Amino acid sequence: MTVPLIDIRNISKAFGGVQALAGVSLDIAPGEVHALCGENGAGKSTLIKILAGSVTPDSGEVLIGGQPLQVGNVRASEDAGIAVIHQESVAFPHLSTYDNIFVGREPKTLAGLWLDRAMMRRETKKLLDRLGEHFDPSRSVGELSVAQRQMVGMARALSRDCRLLIMDEPTASLSARETEVLFKLIRQLKSDGVSILYVSHRLEEIFLLADRVTVFRDGKYVGTKLKTEITQDDLIRMMVGRELLQVEGMVKSETEHPGGEVMLDVRGLTREGMFRDVSFSVRKGEIVGMAGLVGAGRSEVAQAIFGAMPLDAGVVSVAGENLRSGSIDAALDAGIALVPEDRQHLGLVLPMSVGANLSMAVLPKMTRAGLLASGKEEALAGEMIRDLRVKTANARVPAETLSGGNQQKLVIGKWLATRPRVLMLDEPTRGVDVGAKAEIYKLIREMANGGMAVIVISSDLPEVLLLSDRIVVMRQGRVAGELSRQDATQEKVLALAMLNANTQ
Amino acid sequence: MDATSTISMELATPTFSQRLWQLAARREYGIAIVLAIIIAGVTTKNHDFLSGENVRDILIHCTQPLIVSCGVMLVIVTGEIDISVGSALALLTAVLGWLASPTHYHWPAWAAILATLALGAILGLINGLLVTLVRIPSIIVTLGMLTMLRGLTVILMSHPRPDGRAGDITDMPYSVRFFGIGKILGISTSLWITAIVVVFTALLITFTPLGRRIYAVGSNPHAARLSGLSVTRVKIFTFMFTGFLVGVATIVTQLATVTSGLGQGFELLVVTCVVVGGVSISGGVGTMIGVVLGVILIQIQSTVLIFLKLGTNAANWNQAIQGALILIAVLIDQVASRGEKRIGGGH
Amino acid sequence: MLLLVLIALMLTAGHLEPKFVSSRSQEGLLSHVWDLAMLALPMTFIIITGGIDLSVGSMMALTSVTLGKLYIAGHHPLWLAILAALCVGIACGLLNAIFITKVGVHPLIVTLATYSAYRGLAEGISLPEIYSGFPDWFRSLGQNTYGSLQLIGWLFIIAAVFCAIVLAKTPFGRSIYAIGFNETAARFSGLKVNRAKVIIYTLSGLAAAIVSINYSGLRDNAQANVGLNMELDVITAVVLGGTSIFGGRGRILGTILGVALIHETREFVGWHYHRNEYVPLVVGALLIVAVAANALLMRRSSRT
Repeated sequence: MTVPLIDIRNISKAFGGVQALAGVSLDIAPGEVHALCGENGAGKSTLIKILAGSVTPDSGEVLIGGQPLQVGNVRASEDAGIAVIHQESVAFPHLSTYDNIFVGREPKTLAGLWLDRAMMRRETKKLLDRLGEHFDPSRSVGELSVAQRQMVGMARALSRDCRLLIMDEPTASLSARETEVLFKLIRQLKSDGVSILYVSHRLEEIFLLADRVTVFRDGKYVGTKLKTEITQDDLIRMMVGRELLQVEGMVKSETEHPGGEVMLDVRGLTREGMFRDVSFSVRKGEIVGMAGLVGAGRSEVAQAIFGAMPLDAGVVSVAGENLRSGSIDAALDAGIALVPEDRQHLGLVLPMSVGANLSMAVLPKMTRAGLLASGKEEALAGEMIRDLRVKTANARVPAETLSGGNQQKLVIGKWLATRPRVLMLDEPTRGVDVGAKAEIYKLIREMANGGMAVIVISSDLPEVLLLSDRIVVMRQGRVAGELSRQDATQEKVLALAMLNANTQ
Repeated sequence: MDATSTISMELATPTFSQRLWQLAARREYGIAIVLAIIIAGVTTKNHDFLSGENVRDILIHCTQPLIVSCGVMLVIVTGEIDISVGSALALLTAVLGWLASPTHYHWPAWAAILATLALGAILGLINGLLVTLVRIPSIIVTLGMLTMLRGLTVILMSHPRPDGRAGDITDMPYSVRFFGIGKILGISTSLWITAIVVVFTALLITFTPLGRRIYAVGSNPHAARLSGLSVTRVKIFTFMFTGFLVGVATIVTQLATVTSGLGQGFELLVVTCVVVGGVSISGGVGTMIGVVLGVILIQIQSTVLIFLKLGTNAANWNQAIQGALILIAVLIDQVASRGEKRIGGGH
Repeated sequence: MLLLVLIALMLTAGHLEPKFVSSRSQEGLLSHVWDLAMLALPMTFIIITGGIDLSVGSMMALTSVTLGKLYIAGHHPLWLAILAALCVGIACGLLNAIFITKVGVHPLIVTLATYSAYRGLAEGISLPEIYSGFPDWFRSLGQNTYGSLQLIGWLFIIAAVFCAIVLAKTPFGRSIYAIGFNETAARFSGLKVNRAKVIIYTLSGLAAAIVSINYSGLRDNAQANVGLNMELDVITAVVLGGTSIFGGRGRILGTILGVALIHETREFVGWHYHRNEYVPLVVGALLIVAVAANALLMRRSSRT
């Protein structure tokens, strides 16, 4: 094997106590297409950001062509020949295509004072031709389709002499024809000696393109295999080989099929560009898990059910009554609660006190003669802190002083106070330590046993399997399948979430 | 073909309504049409409206706001705002008067003018530094400056002069006033200067790297940083450029008399012109032609009111019409961008 | 902390100009501090939600002109004119609120536009006229003191106590803070964000109307330049009073101290230098320094 172009050694990075990467190493040879796989949260995007220079690792080093790379510096990474094509295009919607491609390193004439527009236009035309796109380079990027924007990002990366091209889910928004063009380009770049780090969930693409595959799991390096050594099933096994968290007293629901009546029923939910024709139902006392990859549209469906996002089509009903769509008030009145994924921005008002956050959804009930009765608030806070085992000095400290797990309990507590009939939890244990995780699992089960209809959205497969009575798997905005508890295995869920029906 | 590719195919072909929205978003066409209707309408009622003299009057009426609009436009394109230009105009005019007036310091015209321009740029620099480095919202910084600079002007104007008197300056020398009332090749100097500023700004934003970066910063500050641009430097430049142009606007002033109340409400006039001219207050969008048309549209209305012979009090409605025009402009903006988002053009 | 500044200022002032504190033109001066204070109450709510209202001065002008036009020029009964002025104030505030909540335009732009529009309307309706000739009882209503305070003073005290209780002790007040800290989370918690905004911007219009009616009566003078530059003083007072321009923090007591501080500064600078020209300079500088200090403190606290 030749000297690697890029050598990533022992990189670690933690974000606020969560270890995103723990001593991972990876090397890529010149002209190699190297695929990087792993479940959501495996640390792939953190590694990309480190290579791009927008995140500084806590430890470890990166060698490129034998030279150490100055980490945490966008310019240094660019100069070293690393280019990134981001998943969501980072573009300037109001600027023309060629401006987007050259901004920051514009070709100049007249002693550097003047833009060389002719050259920018010419070069852009060439780049777009290479990508099989034939639109006018002076069109502004905001007017382009998602796929065309993706191509502009690609052209921007190609416009510099890069040695390593990082592609993060490049085909997510491309059609079959565009994907073909992209693959041809990748092979061409490869023959020119450019290395490619290809991050994708689409296993068939990986087996089509890659020379080698590296798998990350929970921020740790699992292994690197030659494509010829393994099968798709092997690869899935490497990705899911995660241990089930042993939770004492963690019980599944008493009955196989909870006998309650249907509490939440959604039919044909559609929002253009996000999800389409999503239907499922949840019974009283049942926990339904929603599995799928990031971007499959699960959070969006939950927000739509909660009324925080308007619908283009479809009906949400609770206990047989249809709700007005796009209205949080209607959802709340019907007894729907949502513990959102992004608790820092959507779930909590961090600078406000623990008590104030717990009472936020039931403020009208906390009053005596129209005034907030601190006694009632304290009673509620005390009850929730005790029941949910929230670790906090008292109810008056700001919510931001609590740990991730305890903050999550606050969000859950806030909604429990409303006595909801339907509780949706989006990634309830993300960024939560193991001990708190177990407690949150127990809480969720208790709530279901108490008669609530519960939806748990999670990218953590063992978690979904552990908690759910039934699992709905989403892929690319649609329901890809439903699995009963007995049928569900990690492999089956992942296969539904990742593979196209025709390749199974 | 899978779900996402179907969706993206749908997006690729613009629908009729999408085209309509895009056209509505091209503010220049809208204003040009409105202007044409107004001019045609008023001319049929009163044929003198398009007389050479009246056209010249209207254009000269546009010079000050247009010059300053060139700067404020760039500030707004980066996503900031500057409402201190009215007070800055007053202060700079007072300073220019002090320096140039024979009964004051009686500097030569060129020195007084250079000092005024430099002071303008320095005021802009102060705004820029407070916004970028101290990170105070630009509305607050320039609101504070609006008050302070007005105060300074009053102090300056009430300060006794070398000859012991105080009050308005009434003897601006011709060598300075030449830039306002003089003529070159039969055309007013102030129009020449305005044309130079407009052409310079248009070239700056279209043909230089700096100009493109101003738009990039306003369009997507996060992506600008990822592309290695210095958002701070770009923003400071736009504030300084604005300050400098206030200096230029001071010099094309027509007045022989300088009073401390000068330029009151000027900042809002300029913001109105710029916003009506299609510069988006959320940054990244705006054209020079749009701003020029915006200034003419706003400045023509007072003449229109006179020419329609609605009575002497008609001019009192000027400010109300201005305010209504901004509201209408933002309304169109929001509706248009909502329409675009519905179709999936958002980002 | 602000209280300390105020006391320090009073002491310095007293030291420099003993007559300033003792003789007290203070009492006479106090009369128009109430206008500022009254407007600062709704502005405190607005700034705590992260918004701003630049149109208060213009709303004063429009309500003042409404009053004058109807009573003096239109010979309508005074009660009707007052009622109409109050309605105009409420309508102005409501229009701001609708643009902010329904159209979704930033409050800064909305109220910048209505700042022009409302005063422009006032000018268009009234100029070149200045209305005077209000009945004596109406003028004395505003001028007379009732147990050492003028009517507007008592009104302010009642309103301030009410606002302080609402802000600190009711679900509505709690939602105001939540909106300022994190509007999305507030929405996701089921708080009625739009309703809260409509209420506070409308109240701002109502307060402008009340102040303007009192002002016009007091000076027997209703015209289009009433309340010119008032918004700057009001915002400066609220921000000086510790309300964060970034939203989420602020108290009514702070605002009262802020009003007092700005008022004392104003009077002292005017009195000491016998020059009112210095006042805007000092007020503008106070605003920038107060917000800069706020920004720097916020940054430090967020770093830890």
